[in-house]
Amino acid sequence: MPRNASPGLTDELVAQIGSLRAFAVSLCGDRERADDLVQETLYKAWNHLDSFKEGTNLKAWLFTILRNTFFSERRKRKREVEDADGSLAARLSSRPEQHGHMDMKDFQEALSELPDDQREALILVGAAGFSYEEAAEISGCAVGTIKSRVNRARNRLVETLELGDEDLKEPDAVAAMTKSA
Amino acid sequence: MAVDTTKRAERHDGSDAAESPPGDGMSPALQAHIGRQVRAMFDDVAEEPIPDHLLRLLQDLDRGGEK
Repeated sequence: MPRNASPGLTDELVAQIGSLRAFAVSLCGDRERADDLVQETLYKAWNHLDSFKEGTNLKAWLFTILRNTFFSERRKRKREVEDADGSLAARLSSRPEQHGHMDMKDFQEALSELPDDQREALILVGAAGFSYEEAAEISGCAVGTIKSRVNRARNRLVETLELGDEDLKEPDAVAAMTKSA
Repeated sequence: MAVDTTKRAERHDGSDAAESPPGDGMSPALQAHIGRQVRAMFDDVAEEPIPDHLLRLLQDLDRGGEK
């Protein structure tokens, strides 16, 4: 259907599937639903290729489609969503195949308890590799808003996990401290 | 052009509290720690093999099928 699908585009889409899945899981906390979201995203992207400007950021475009799909479905199914909210933490923390650190489990649970907008901002900037500006464009808000969401998300995680500097004994934390200061 | 709009948006929203980048008094070490955890969790999923049905979907679309 799209006439302007350039050769190699499929490969470029395939290359983004991993990140899209990770983003989807972090948004909805449900592996199956996450894959449905990715599927819908790919399908929509393919059928709206004419609205994608080649040479611009394909990854950001796909992330935008995915999060818009997620949030509009969410609005549509409010009741279902309230239920999903309640069990999000449980589902995330009962993921069977995750690496076994207790640490990571606690972290996932704390992350899943963040408000959606804060979690989204933290993932976009902190894990998916977007700049604040790109994240703002993806989420359709101001850059300052993204920054404050990321800050609030971090602060909340630290509170929930009762983290303090004394918990960071690994030498690489010290290295990171000097690096990012 | 896109840069202009984001700049405007930034200024528009730009209370100092929202701007003050990372941390709000949180130590860089703690920020880095959270950063590592978020990335580890994300990469865990991102690096999994891609489910077949997603690959098949793209192949079908590529062949000109609208599903």
